[in-house]
Amino acid sequence: MSDQIEDAINREYEAGFVSNIESETFAPGLDEDVVRRISAIKGEPEWMLQWRLKAFRVWQKMEEPDWAHLNYPKIDYQSISYYSAPKSMADKPKSLDEVDPELLATYEKLGIPLHEQEMLAGVAVDAVFDSVSVVTTFREKLEEAGVIFCPISEAVHKYPDLVKQYLGKVVPQHDNYFAALNCAVFTDGSFVYIPKGTRCPMELSTYFRINEQNTGQFERTLIVADEGSHVSYLEGCTAPQRDENQLHAAVVELVALDDAEIKYSTVQNWYPGDENGKGGIYNFVTKRGICHTNAKISWTQVETGSAITWKYPSCILKGDNSVGEFYSVALTRGAQQADTGTKMIHLGKNTKSTIISKGISAGRSNNSYRGLVQMHSTAGKARNFTQCDSLLIGDKCGAHTFPYVESSNASAIVEHEATTSKVSDDQMFLCQQRGLDPEKAVSMIVNGFCKEVFKELPMEFAVEAGKLLEISLEGSVG
Amino acid sequence: MSAYLANAIEQGQLVNDWLTPKRLGSMALLQQTSWPTRKTESWKYTSVRSLEKKTFERGTTNDEHAFSSIAGLDAIELVFVNGVLQQLPEGLPAGLSIASLENVPESTQVWAREQFNVAKPSQHLFGLVNDVLADNGVIVDVAEGVTIDTPIHLVNLVSENNETQQRVIVRVGQNAKVTMIEHNTGSVESLVNHVAEYFVEESAELELYRFSFRTEKALTVSGAHVQLAKKAKLNATIVGFGSELSRMDLDVLHRGENAFAKINAIYLLAKGEHFDLHSTIEHEIGHCVTDETVRGIVGEKATAVFNGRIHIHRDAQKTLAELNNKNLLLTDDAKINTKPELEIYADDVRCAHGATVAELDKSALYYMTSRGVSRDTALVMLNFGFINALVDEMPNAVLAEWLRPILKERFVKMNAEL
Amino acid sequence: MLEIKNLQASVEDKEILKGLNLEIKPGEVHAIMGPNGAGKSTLGYVLSGREGYEVTDGSATLGNDDLLDMEAEERARAGLFLAFQYPVEIPGVSNLEFMKAAVDAHMEARGEELMSSAEFLKAAKLACKQVNLPLEFLKRGVNEGFSGGEKKRNEIMQMLLLKPSLCILDESDSGLDIDALKVVAEGVNSQRDPKRSFIVVTHYQRLLDYIKPDYVHVLSDGKIVKSGDASLAKELEAEGYAWLEGYDVEEADA
Repeated sequence: MSDQIEDAINREYEAGFVSNIESETFAPGLDEDVVRRISAIKGEPEWMLQWRLKAFRVWQKMEEPDWAHLNYPKIDYQSISYYSAPKSMADKPKSLDEVDPELLATYEKLGIPLHEQEMLAGVAVDAVFDSVSVVTTFREKLEEAGVIFCPISEAVHKYPDLVKQYLGKVVPQHDNYFAALNCAVFTDGSFVYIPKGTRCPMELSTYFRINEQNTGQFERTLIVADEGSHVSYLEGCTAPQRDENQLHAAVVELVALDDAEIKYSTVQNWYPGDENGKGGIYNFVTKRGICHTNAKISWTQVETGSAITWKYPSCILKGDNSVGEFYSVALTRGAQQADTGTKMIHLGKNTKSTIISKGISAGRSNNSYRGLVQMHSTAGKARNFTQCDSLLIGDKCGAHTFPYVESSNASAIVEHEATTSKVSDDQMFLCQQRGLDPEKAVSMIVNGFCKEVFKELPMEFAVEAGKLLEISLEGSVG
Repeated sequence: MSAYLANAIEQGQLVNDWLTPKRLGSMALLQQTSWPTRKTESWKYTSVRSLEKKTFERGTTNDEHAFSSIAGLDAIELVFVNGVLQQLPEGLPAGLSIASLENVPESTQVWAREQFNVAKPSQHLFGLVNDVLADNGVIVDVAEGVTIDTPIHLVNLVSENNETQQRVIVRVGQNAKVTMIEHNTGSVESLVNHVAEYFVEESAELELYRFSFRTEKALTVSGAHVQLAKKAKLNATIVGFGSELSRMDLDVLHRGENAFAKINAIYLLAKGEHFDLHSTIEHEIGHCVTDETVRGIVGEKATAVFNGRIHIHRDAQKTLAELNNKNLLLTDDAKINTKPELEIYADDVRCAHGATVAELDKSALYYMTSRGVSRDTALVMLNFGFINALVDEMPNAVLAEWLRPILKERFVKMNAEL
Repeated sequence: MLEIKNLQASVEDKEILKGLNLEIKPGEVHAIMGPNGAGKSTLGYVLSGREGYEVTDGSATLGNDDLLDMEAEERARAGLFLAFQYPVEIPGVSNLEFMKAAVDAHMEARGEELMSSAEFLKAAKLACKQVNLPLEFLKRGVNEGFSGGEKKRNEIMQMLLLKPSLCILDESDSGLDIDALKVVAEGVNSQRDPKRSFIVVTHYQRLLDYIKPDYVHVLSDGKIVKSGDASLAKELEAEGYAWLEGYDVEEADA
């Protein structure tokens, strides 16, 4: 029976194809000149170049962190190419009709049609292919509502004041090794601004795709929700199946001003590498949001991909009565390793945070929850509730929990709970005895285990996430 | 490297005795170890700055210390003053032998040397210091099948400016039973580094009490390291007060199937005190049970640190492990840093941990005062209420009765400052 | 015995009591009725000295004592007892040890010699019996895991032990079935005495069938708007509170 469960975990990576697109790619290597060239290609103003250079110098002095429960060979930052763009993008296409059909076909194949008439109504997409944004849909419609949704490279030109005001303010350049690197070499990403009192009329979504070989992807997302506004943002990612590891070091910054609300959902499905741990994406991501008075930031993530995941979407609850949430499902199988969780920094009074983390480990993988709940002395009557559950499938994997609780305020209440369980042979037998095939049984049990998190996802994503787990577990039962 | 560590290494090189073969390995490790900073994970929340530049005298004075044994408790007393055992008890029960570390019979040396550092992991900095410096302590051996009804009560009394490096090795033979009470007390500027290793053999039982009552300027670093063989049982109660620096490392190693460990720990910190408990439970083998409950009350400007790690190894199937940590902060400037960790490599296990931090229940306080109970009394009762269950669970009722007034006095002190 | 004059009190800057007057003589039973949100529970909290209830004006004296000037425990020792609507649970502190501390404090305040543990245990057992509370409840944590009815009976048990001169019963009937209600009422009635007074706070008339009040007052929007004898309670039962001027039905439902 256990073998059946084991087998149910193994499946093919469906997004693993390579698109045959002619690209302009930098030779591998990183020095100041590379930073200058990226900035030049983007035609950036001087202040942006200086900002990058400053970050690059900071990065050079930093050391790669080693505290995570992860094991991987040292990354050679000189063997990576820091810029790659489809050639067809060189003279910016004016409309979708001018976009390389091969590119459109790639997204089509991934289930993300970029022709607006074919799209799911109510979702605007920014598609980022290797280092550049390919297309952003529904822009006019959003502009009517005053919402800005565009590639960040464009925002640097069009909205320099907003970018200057907020870029690097939530995640400072020196925050950590990977964030500093991103600051120096980021190539594209999305920029969102929701004006005061506006409810964004549709879901915003960015879809990231790494295609080129030996290329790192360093995208940067900045979302500013002005006072009393509301936005829901989705992020998806895939990469082809390659034998080499590829580095992805993104930074996401969220700013929720007074009374604003940001809901940020991720379905991360980077190529995880093969059964033996060959290939796959190294995913080192810094995501953080700041909540002003009465604001709310909610992170939801479904992490099924990447060889290495190092990711802690966090909330700084600065304003009184602000709310932070983190809902996470992390599935690791094969030789995958994930060290993921969140930080909830309570500064304001009556701030509240909720953390629900579901880790599923299978194969020979290791899955760690790492979290920090910090109650500062200013956080009177603040409250945190954390629930971390691990599900182990098979006896060769690992599930770990490292929750840090630091409280300096007596009136703050912190509650942390963690449990661990397995998909038992009894459960499997019951399902099978009732006529379910083993694959269905495992996926049902796993889905049930993750239900609390899935219900937080926007509908389109919830379906996708459910399917993703189902596919992930396909063939795990023989 | 700090002056303290440099000095320890220098002194360690002068030691030459029956443990030297084992000390050498630790010396090599110690020479590669750096002095902990905030970036050292296991010392993230505890600063050793107060020790960094200090030097103390060792075993040079032999002052008078007032010490009264535990009322109503018939115990085998081992009183150490500045690391000097005052008197080796005579007329021990059959099957029990106790040797002073300085004077160990050769037959005992053989097994004790073999067991040295087997239960204590090598990552504890002050454990390594103790390895190279330990010059006092006892080797306790309980013969197979023997139940020792009289508890062994070990006390450390230390004078101002003194340091003691004490090592205790206890072997509880198959089917044997023994109770150990280790009791550190005092408040003058001094250092106690008290490391004990316990080997509980097949179907044997160890009832262990650790009272760490050193406060104010009395610095304490200590370790209790227990190895459990098949069907062995540990029932441990730890009570800690804080001082400028007070750190305890507890390790329990499940090395035989069906071993059972029950651990209850309490820390009660008065104004400005610091206390740090790091516990690590290693489930190296399957079918073992750990039940760990830790409760702490933290007073004004005091800081408590708890790190509770449970590590389930690859083959430790059918493990049952639970850890629960609850904390009360008495004032807004009290601090708690707690981290219950689970590291699990086996799937057929039941593991859970929980940690909470909260303040004293104000509505309970009002309820009690509305019945005419004074605020002070109510506070003490509520403090007791938080830990009563653990005191009630102490298997030795005489000891529990002895402890209650001590705890009461502590609560009065903790709450008087509010 | 109890004299309340123009009592005004607020919670978190919200005015709840807005000039309440009430005089209770020894041996009298006064019922206070009124819609939700009228300030019924607040009255009990203000008189017993709960933190967060701020008296902005007026006075309240019990005998010769100025209640408002005293700490909560001093008011209790002066003879005031509040039976809570929702008694708090205190895990780890046993009922017995709690009540011993309370009784000791009362006796000490009166300058009496303390009861021995054995004497006290006897008294506690008797009190339990009177309210049908199994003796094991003395050993359990205060209210810990008690059912709603058990908590209410535990309150009355405490009242029997402390022998207060003024008892405030805050919705002691809520959540009780008829049998439990009778037990509570019998406990109270057994304590009726020419020197002891009661304030029975209740939303419904039901409890007053068993504890006969001498006076009934209607509290609305922080003031006593109507007073009468026991028949007033019957009227209220028939007509509800909707007749009250300025009474906001929506607020009452909230």
